[in-house]
Amino acid sequence: MIELNELTDAAQKAFPADKLSPPRDASWQLVAEMGWLMIRLPENEGGLGLGREASTAIHYEMGRVLSAVPLIPAQLGLHGVLGSETLAERADWIERIAGGAYVPLHMLPTSLEAGADGALTGTVSGVFEADMATAVLARLPDCYALVPLDAKGVGIAERPVWDPSRRLFDLVLSDYRPDPALIVASGDAANALHDTIGPEAHLALAADSLGGATAALAMSVEYMKMRKQFDRPIAMFQALKHRAADLKTRIVAAEALLWNRARDAGVTNTQMGALKTLAAEVYEFVTEEAIQFHGGIGLTEEHQCHLFMKRAMLNLSLCGSSDLWKERTGREALAAFA
Amino acid sequence: MTENTDLESLRAEVRGWLSVNAPAGWRDASRTQEDFVATQRDWFARLVKAGYAIPHWPAEFPGGGRSLAEQKVIYEELAKADCPRLLLSFVSTYHAFATLHECASAEQKAKYLPRILEGETWCQGFSEPGAGSDLAALKTRAERKGDVYVVNGQKVWSTMAQFADKCLLLVRTSSDGPKQAGITYLLMDMKTPGVSVRPIHQIQGDEEFAEIFLDNVEIPVSERVGEEGAGWAVAQATLSSERGLTLMELSYRMRGALARVAKLIREHGRENDAGVLRDFGTLVTQVDTTCAIADQFLENRIAGIERMGDASIVKNTYSRALRAYSLLGLRLGGMAEQYVAPITFGDLNTGNWMADYMNSFAWTIAGGSEEVQRNIIAERMLEMPREPKSWVL
Repeated sequence: MIELNELTDAAQKAFPADKLSPPRDASWQLVAEMGWLMIRLPENEGGLGLGREASTAIHYEMGRVLSAVPLIPAQLGLHGVLGSETLAERADWIERIAGGAYVPLHMLPTSLEAGADGALTGTVSGVFEADMATAVLARLPDCYALVPLDAKGVGIAERPVWDPSRRLFDLVLSDYRPDPALIVASGDAANALHDTIGPEAHLALAADSLGGATAALAMSVEYMKMRKQFDRPIAMFQALKHRAADLKTRIVAAEALLWNRARDAGVTNTQMGALKTLAAEVYEFVTEEAIQFHGGIGLTEEHQCHLFMKRAMLNLSLCGSSDLWKERTGREALAAFA
Repeated sequence: MTENTDLESLRAEVRGWLSVNAPAGWRDASRTQEDFVATQRDWFARLVKAGYAIPHWPAEFPGGGRSLAEQKVIYEELAKADCPRLLLSFVSTYHAFATLHECASAEQKAKYLPRILEGETWCQGFSEPGAGSDLAALKTRAERKGDVYVVNGQKVWSTMAQFADKCLLLVRTSSDGPKQAGITYLLMDMKTPGVSVRPIHQIQGDEEFAEIFLDNVEIPVSERVGEEGAGWAVAQATLSSERGLTLMELSYRMRGALARVAKLIREHGRENDAGVLRDFGTLVTQVDTTCAIADQFLENRIAGIERMGDASIVKNTYSRALRAYSLLGLRLGGMAEQYVAPITFGDLNTGNWMADYMNSFAWTIAGGSEEVQRNIIAERMLEMPREPKSWVL
């Protein structure tokens, strides 16, 4: 059994803190070699057989260096394939994924129309790094299915986002005929898959957010210790120190909730959504303050500050809005206190 | 595994005892200071007898010798059963105990520790009008005359000093050298001639703190803890006596008290008001976060991996959650909360949200203000530089 801190140490060696946004394709190679693509794959299927805490630790470390590797959609795609009872060549797909094939879940809604013959036309949105994907796990009108990128009627269109460490695509379908052999889940199984994937997605995004928030604060503190005005490092001024201390407090407290919920098998999807909301809002606030702490240089592309802010805002926008999760949390807590 | 089994059997034992002995109606029986004190004395005596009052003391005392993990279980169960917190005996069982246990002479320990279990209460005479966050600037003078110190000065923010039998007193015996080096630690009997106590009337009508005036008070030299001038080091034992259990317990109590907010939302027919639901949802997550950090802090302490500044993070997280909790209740309650109502002393829930809100300031100010905690976090955890010793003004 691999210990959590061994995993973290290995990640910090492979992706050192001083090299932000390491190049995607080389990182993907490295991630595959480290076995992180199959971290949640059970041992009897050839994986590492680790749980939520382990994947959370990796997503945290990837967030810390603003990794461009699409490990979150890849893990969610794997959950789909793993849980499938209908996928014809399931074992084969698992082997290909463990070997480095990228089969992501898309992270945004679809807009599809079915023709009279069942052929689909429209878009499947929110496919990260689709240019390197073998297939996409897509929510089709009445099922989840793998859509191979090389199938007839399947194309991709990049939709550039502000976060330069992420590439986002639409999967564009025109008269695409889903292959029945590639159906991952339909009917109740599709709903069950949705319920499985939701909490994993929130947890992973929360970890990415808090890893990034930690790095953004560390970068700001280093800057304030080095930057001198009025004959002293600006880190000496309580007006700045106290703000940094508040950021540290919010990050450390949110991390406590992150690990608490990663360990607790009884956590609901809404509680995970609330965790993601908290973590992304902490990230947003930390990066907002980080730019302010850096002053003018924080507004330039010369400095890396903005990279964290852009990732924070992207994370905040994925998997349901803050308003949605806060309202649901309130509603469910109200019912629980009935 | 065995350890967890033991913890669960302790939990069952405490829960069983509480199912019979948890005091019902203590809130109604704590509507005046006198009743509050009586309720507190009674509950403390019963907990001592049951063996749950001093789990953190050494095993030679009945009910002592509990591990931090066991202490956590006991406090969790007390919180879940909604028992009164041990407020009147808090300074005695934590601050006085830690000071005596770690720094006092064998005679002093033998004299005072058993009396604490019999209900003798202590207060802390540390802060002064001119020495708050900068505690070492204290000015209360003690002059040695033969076998006694003659003490003159004033202490403030002394929790429940008006009910205390004894006082942990910091005095200045020298003004030479660094200000910390001239401080001496004394144990004072509150009935000594020259001691007068004036309760401080707080904004919510409670009198949780008092001022202590010292006018030629004679304290025997035998009541000194440590050497003359070594009081600052002894005071550190007093100040670090509390091991995070209080904030863990309070966080769990706040989670339970979310039921009060839920009730208010229903009473005002706001169950489908999206704005209210969002605010409530935000508060729920904030309270969950507070419980998680308080838990983690204790677990790290149990594992021996606590970091400098961790305690400050827990305190600032709790105090802000408490403010948010009371503010939401105050807002939902509306005008009804503006009418003065009888309040329960010494409780997170006084029964009036305006009073709860005012109470919440005690947590951002007392026990090291939020700003002092921020300095600790910035300097000890983030390693940001201290300010220069003296500013040119």
